[in-house]
Amino acid sequence: MRFEFNEDQAALASALDQIMLSAEAGWKTAENWQRFDWSQDLDRTLEENGYYDCASEETLGPLAAAAMVYRLNSLPVAVESAASALLRPFCAPDLPRPIAVIDGEADSAIRFLPVARSLIHIGKQDVRCALLPAGAVVPSESLFAYPMGVLGDVPLEWSSVDVDAEATRNRWRVAVAAEIAGSLKGGLEAVLAHVRDRHQFGRPLGSFQAIQHRLAEAAVTIEASYLLVLKAAQTGDPVDAATALGYVQEATTTVVYDFHQFMGAMGLTLEHPLHRWTYRAKLLRSSLGGAQLNQALIAKRRWGSR
Amino acid sequence: MDFEWTEKDRAFRARVRDFLDRELPENWDEIRRHGPGSREQTEFSLKFCPKLAAAGLLVPHWPAEWGGGGLSNWEHFILGEEMWAAGEPRGAQYMNVNWIGPTLMRFGSDEQRRRYVSQMAAGKAIWCQGFSEPNAGSDLAALRTRATPDGDDYVVNGSKIWTSYAGLAEHCFLLARTSGKAGDKSGITIFLVPMDTPGIDVRSIPSLIGHGDIHETFFTDVRIPASARLGAEGEAWSIINYSLANERVGIPRYELSARVLEGMVNELIVRGAFSDTDVLARAGAAAAACEAARLLVYRVVDQLANGKDPGTDANIARVAVAKADHAVSDFGLDFLPDTYSGGDHHAHLAHHERAIVAGIAAGAAEIQLGIIARRHLMLPREAC
Ligand SMILES: Cc1cc2nc3c(=O)[nH]c(=O)nc-3n(C[C@H](O)[C@H](O)[C@H](O)COP(=O)(O)OP(=O)(O)OC[C@H]3O[C@@H](n4cnc5c(N)ncnc54)[C@H](O)[C@@H]3O)c2cc1C
Repeated sequence: MRFEFNEDQAALASALDQIMLSAEAGWKTAENWQRFDWSQDLDRTLEENGYYDCASEETLGPLAAAAMVYRLNSLPVAVESAASALLRPFCAPDLPRPIAVIDGEADSAIRFLPVARSLIHIGKQDVRCALLPAGAVVPSESLFAYPMGVLGDVPLEWSSVDVDAEATRNRWRVAVAAEIAGSLKGGLEAVLAHVRDRHQFGRPLGSFQAIQHRLAEAAVTIEASYLLVLKAAQTGDPVDAATALGYVQEATTTVVYDFHQFMGAMGLTLEHPLHRWTYRAKLLRSSLGGAQLNQALIAKRRWGSR
Repeated sequence: MDFEWTEKDRAFRARVRDFLDRELPENWDEIRRHGPGSREQTEFSLKFCPKLAAAGLLVPHWPAEWGGGGLSNWEHFILGEEMWAAGEPRGAQYMNVNWIGPTLMRFGSDEQRRRYVSQMAAGKAIWCQGFSEPNAGSDLAALRTRATPDGDDYVVNGSKIWTSYAGLAEHCFLLARTSGKAGDKSGITIFLVPMDTPGIDVRSIPSLIGHGDIHETFFTDVRIPASARLGAEGEAWSIINYSLANERVGIPRYELSARVLEGMVNELIVRGAFSDTDVLARAGAAAAACEAARLLVYRVVDQLANGKDPGTDANIARVAVAKADHAVSDFGLDFLPDTYSGGDHHAHLAHHERAIVAGIAAGAAEIQLGIIARRHLMLPREAC
């Protein structure tokens, strides 16, 4: 049992910290008041410097990749890290990225599709991938803070990937859990800055105990989620994967509600970044079957269903 | 980072489990049903702990000169998990092992150490902790029990409440005020008081958490020699902060909760009632809450093992631990309500009695949240 990063993991984390301070990673309102800010520049910087491949480095591994996905999701800008860092190295290391992922049926809009160059489909029995030729995707308007789109009429050339579908879905569970936990962490930082700064009734909002305790609870949940994600990434255990996702999906409702409460009307504007984090979490809460099914899966995998 | 146990830790856990398998009697479930502070469990601990000591498993993390084996924080913690999950057969003696003994080793006079520490290492000492008072709970510095110097003695007057184990304890680790007024941290002093000193009166408080667990302890003109003082006058606050540092994550409650949940699920399986998504999801959520608490606690143990101050990570862990206990207890109440009547399900009842304490004893959850808010999230102090 050891809770400190090894040297290489620590070096990766601090290099990432530097990149995350750059202008391309920072908050700005999006063109035409889009609800997301897809940061092509940051995404490319990370790709060109090999960050998305870190899971296959022996001294870094999926744990470092999951920690990175968590950190990147605390940014107000969107980059595609989860599929690239936690699926691609194990399914199709040469697949062009950004990557969109379809879990099960492609019956609704899919995040990252409009910016993706390829697609991974995790089916019931098999895993497939396809390149996305020009015109293959139709962007969708959406509530959620991602570039969203649907597949158009252009036929795709699927090739099958020689990996176990359930194992891949478990990796995806961990990846999505890392994204949610990171998004909540980003939201927490923004709300903390606000309640420290904003005064009402002659005192900072953050001095009200009603607010303090709820934010402290959010912090407990987020830190637990982070550790559950790292453990699941390291062990590859199916129970751990369901635990990481079920736990953070369940927690999302309360945490997101509290964040918006404490931000007041400001948090409902597109001039403040809070929605970037909360409207990722709101979408991901329902992914891979959603909170209840993933919690049930923890139990099913531990004890069976009888 | 590494979430796997080392070979050494695994072997140590196996050794503790073997010992428990061998030494816990057939009727242990009935004994532990009475609660950690009960006469039954206390008497049992006085037979059990000497055996534990003989096997090198009572104080393995203590220095060798005090009967320990110099083992690490991790082994100490694994021992705590296994004991708690087994129903804490050490009874009150877990406090000696965890903090009273180490505090005496560090701050005690030669005479105090000679007199008390080896008794603790032998598994034969029952102590209680006299901190809380009717008007000093979360706000411990508000305590009023006073120790007034009188020649070579002190005379103690006042009362303590919620004192676990006081009914059977031989000694009390007592906090009393030697100067200042209620609210001052500086005027509080520690005394090591034999419970048979004239003027001490103990009354058991009927409770929801087992027989004989909590008490009121009255001190009326209790005369104790100055040699019973631990450390200098007025030093209690810094001494207990030091000695409770290793205690800050508290009891590894999630270990019992996780195992009791396992038992609840098995019961539902036997009844053919473990298939609805709703039931499965609640079981999964409770299991996840235990796992979350476990990891947050392990993070703190790792910091302690590396000689680092865990800071607010300990408070964060405590909140998660209380939640996990309640998640399991509520699962039982919702899906196996019948097992809480009729007295057959010792394990569920015993767990419930422990779980309802989790967010209150040794620092309420709300106190933890306040500390997290101010020291971890850097939120401003509440204006008074
Ligand atoms: C089973 C058990 C065993 C115990 N054993 C011992 C023992 O052996 N020796 C001993 O000395 N003590 C013992 N205690 C006492 C324990 O330390 C106190 O119960 C604890 O410190 C809380 O104090 P209180 O019960 O007086 O609650 P109070 O301080 O009156 O607080 C009640 C509630 O108010 C809220 N609250 C209090 N302060 C704040 C705040 N600042 N902000 C927000 N909310 C707040 C919390 O929800 C808290 O639970 C034991 C308690 C229990 C339950």
